[in-house]
Amino acid sequence: MNHSQRHSNLKTRVASVLLVTSKKYQKIFGVAMATMFAAGCAQNAPQDTWQPKGPNAKIIDDLQQPVFAVAGIIGLIVAVAIIYVVFKYKDRGQAIPEQTHGKPALEITLTIIPALILAVVAVFTFGAIFKLAKTDDTEMIINVTGQQWWWEYDYPAQNEFGINQPIISSGQLVMPVGTKVLLRETSRDVIHSYWIPALNGKRDAVPGRVQTLRLEADAPGLFAGQCTEFCGLSHANMRMEAIALSKADFAKWVANQQAAYVAPAKDSLAQQGEAVFLNQCVRCHQVNGLLRADGTPAIAAPDENVWSGAAPNLTHLMSRNTFAGATFDLLSKQCRDEVWNAPSDEIGAKYLAGVTEDCLNQKDLRAWLRNAPAMKPMYANPTQLTATGGKYRGMPYLALSEDDISKLVAYLLTLK
Amino acid sequence: MAIIERETEVMVPVTVTPTSTYGVLKRPVSATGWRAWVFTVDHKKLGLMYGATAMFFFIVGGVEALLIRLQLAAPNGKVLNADLYNQMFTMHATTMVFLFVMPMAAGLANYFIPLQIGARDVAFPRINALGFWLLLFGGIFINLSWFLGGAADGGWFMYAPNSGPVFSPTNGIDFWAFGLQIAGIASLTGAINLIVTVLNMRAPGMTLMKMPIFTWMMTVVQFLLLFAVPVITVALFLLSFQRNFGARFFDVAAGADPLLWQHLFWIFGHPEVYILVLPAFGIVSEVLPVFSRKPLFGYPFVVFSGAAIGFVGWGVWAHHMFASGLGPVSVAVFSLTTMAIAVPTGVKIINWTLTMWGGKLYFSTAMKFSIGLIVLFTVGGLSGVTHSVAPSDTQQTDTYYIVAHFHYVLFGGAVLGFFSGFYYWWPKMFGKMLNEKLGGWNFWLMVIGMNLTFGPMHILGLQGQPRRMYQWTEARAGEGFFNLAFWNLIASIGSFVLAVGILLFLINVVITARNPTKSPLDPWNSRSLEWMTSNPPKEHNFDVIPTVHHLDEFFHRKYEEDSATHTMRQIATAEEIMAEQERNADKHIHMPSPSYWPIVLAGAVPIITFGMIFSHLIAVIGGVILLFAAFGWALEPSTAPESDFENNSSQGTALDKVGH
Repeated sequence: MNHSQRHSNLKTRVASVLLVTSKKYQKIFGVAMATMFAAGCAQNAPQDTWQPKGPNAKIIDDLQQPVFAVAGIIGLIVAVAIIYVVFKYKDRGQAIPEQTHGKPALEITLTIIPALILAVVAVFTFGAIFKLAKTDDTEMIINVTGQQWWWEYDYPAQNEFGINQPIISSGQLVMPVGTKVLLRETSRDVIHSYWIPALNGKRDAVPGRVQTLRLEADAPGLFAGQCTEFCGLSHANMRMEAIALSKADFAKWVANQQAAYVAPAKDSLAQQGEAVFLNQCVRCHQVNGLLRADGTPAIAAPDENVWSGAAPNLTHLMSRNTFAGATFDLLSKQCRDEVWNAPSDEIGAKYLAGVTEDCLNQKDLRAWLRNAPAMKPMYANPTQLTATGGKYRGMPYLALSEDDISKLVAYLLTLK
Repeated sequence: MAIIERETEVMVPVTVTPTSTYGVLKRPVSATGWRAWVFTVDHKKLGLMYGATAMFFFIVGGVEALLIRLQLAAPNGKVLNADLYNQMFTMHATTMVFLFVMPMAAGLANYFIPLQIGARDVAFPRINALGFWLLLFGGIFINLSWFLGGAADGGWFMYAPNSGPVFSPTNGIDFWAFGLQIAGIASLTGAINLIVTVLNMRAPGMTLMKMPIFTWMMTVVQFLLLFAVPVITVALFLLSFQRNFGARFFDVAAGADPLLWQHLFWIFGHPEVYILVLPAFGIVSEVLPVFSRKPLFGYPFVVFSGAAIGFVGWGVWAHHMFASGLGPVSVAVFSLTTMAIAVPTGVKIINWTLTMWGGKLYFSTAMKFSIGLIVLFTVGGLSGVTHSVAPSDTQQTDTYYIVAHFHYVLFGGAVLGFFSGFYYWWPKMFGKMLNEKLGGWNFWLMVIGMNLTFGPMHILGLQGQPRRMYQWTEARAGEGFFNLAFWNLIASIGSFVLAVGILLFLINVVITARNPTKSPLDPWNSRSLEWMTSNPPKEHNFDVIPTVHHLDEFFHRKYEEDSATHTMRQIATAEEIMAEQERNADKHIHMPSPSYWPIVLAGAVPIITFGMIFSHLIAVIGGVILLFAAFGWALEPSTAPESDFENNSSQGTALDKVGH
């Protein structure tokens, strides 16, 4: 193909190219519009990063919205400039233009303009970074420990909140509204990352380090989160929720967490369940106040069985809505929706009702007790334990009979 | 093969094969058949082999990507289990970064840098061959793990302590670490080789500021490699010692800080990002001027912004760690540097647009890919700027928004750039032009497919879907028609559209190979020296080494400015320029000779690393082979000796320049 032949074809070719080019931009524009539409009209995605529900997330959102807008405008300018050039300067048989090598003044101007825009962004970014790093205005501390593949919460004694002895919980972080909560994060094995998008950005939980994250909720609500640092096999199944309660409701929650152990009624199914629990579960799972048959306190020893050294404390299991790293609901679908969809001022009461027998998600809980690793991948197969010296990295298969499972479920239901 | 003797009246090169035996073995002499490839030290053959290897791994990585998208098309996907999914995304990234983009760039650099600077080969031809074989063997070594107990499963970033022997008990990460070490030697030797080549072997008159922009960008890349690869080498050694010899560099119980790995990895990893994308910038900066019939707008600005990216690229690594707890001062500093690096990147976008401004645009497939790159890379660049706002990044990091960002940068940047280069340089490399019509389909399916695949990921990420999850759940997908389930499905459909687009390229390659039509000498009316020779180039590249007077030397030999209109008029055709060259051809060209040793030496290295994992005896055997090969190499002169020549070179350009 020589030069002149090419020229003869050129017009039709260029025309067809441009026809498709314009379609391309229609497409890109269409996708952009759909993006704005979808992002704009809230789909109630529980982890939406553009719907702050607390002052820390609000700082981030106020910073990022203008940046997104400016970036969008610049993107549009570039796209329009390219479209213009493509249409305006297509080969219509014009002479080969002068071989100009650039205009330094124009170059420098076009370098300085983006630099100035970024300088303005930098100023506001700096402000936000330091605001979000503040720790001296903390009103409440919660220690958060990540472990494959669940989160443990440890509320140190803080008398002003009625916490007279440490509360240990997992899965769902319960906090009072309008209170500057400081999470102190660490990990027992690999790096995890704590993220409740409605309340703040992420902070990694790094073994050997304690790092802080501010959380504060404006109004009572349930906020979804997810571990966001890849932490091995079941990273996808390491979720969490933050529950913000009114100060009065929070006080009730604290009181319940500190309530003494109530042994199941004599000769009940639950009491038989307690025996199964003492026989099996207590090797890893602590229930505060639980006594062995001989009257001595039953102390769990997860460090002997779990590589990372801990297992969820189940003392008030039924005060939570989820289990197994917030992967499964303890509440049936209907009861769960009632709590999650409740108006802000009713969430506290509904949440504090806990899990009743009618509302229990029997199916998933029984399946979990039957064969946990089948529901959530964990290194629980004996052939996979050589590297850890026989210790598990998650709940193993326990070969419980269906009878034992029924007894256990009855017992767990008493752990209000 | 080794020495090309020609008399002025004889137009066909006469190949003289050395007869003497030097070193441990006789030299390989085949100029045809598989031996001509396996023992070659010719930069063009090695370039093509790099390209073919990269293309193979591109398909491997692509299949891994399709499996990932199949798994994520619907909630609670069952295509892969958690273990296999984790291996899949780890290997997808590893393959695409280390075994596709880097080798493809190395291949193009190998092929075109000597041609663009008017040289007859690279500075160290045998080391060049060694680099290729190490890359190939390293790539195969990493992928062997699929068949030997499972591939690496810690993510391509391989964060400690999750990469330790307790948390990843299979040998996958051992294969990964050693395999990357092997490929790393290839990158390092390649970098040294090309830097020496560019600095010492440019044609007379080609000052650095008259050097083609692709060569410039590749030179920046080689410097980045030279300084970045040693960092990952150190990190990988720490990891291998931890896993294989009980060292405790990342063992928290022994007092280690796991953030050490992150710093090491990203001090390598961020320059690596520019290693991946600058080659594409170079290609686009070649293609746009050719098809705009104008020089690159602001050539010095593009050169210096490339170099600036190369420098500032070292000061931004911790923006990968904004959520890891660095403290506000560090975060603020790295936020600022990350914003700063957006400026030279923006300069490139502006210069490309202004290159087309006022031009005479011809929309070949290569040009379409280049224009596609400008638009799509801009999208990725702008989402990158949103990450530099650190508080905003703490919401976005480790979500699909990041996945969207870097696929716009790497697919919209690196991959579209490569495809632009394929269509542009195919006639140069193979003497035949890829089908332009099929090329149009190839382009549009890739662009549409990529936007369908990665566009929705912006939404997925901003609405809270984290990365690296083998399943996603409807409970977190939101409500309404445009919920996350919808966008996940669109992304999966898009990935198959994209795959069809790439398949069309492969079909195009086959069709072109079967089509007997030869390409014209200068099909695109090009500007730089690589087009001032035959298609494909002769083994010695140029009959006579050109003397350079201009940036875009070849163009200025074809055109001169009309003093009245300042437009350009043709004064010579490419054929005339070639004929002139042949008339003045160098009489005596001395090319480096093929050698057995690079492939033997490279082959010994994976045997050693295999032995490190399974049995130290095997490692010893590998070590013996390696020593044997090194001695053989050392005793073998790089070119056949002078005694093989009948008369001493009068214009021994190649002998003087092609080295040791």
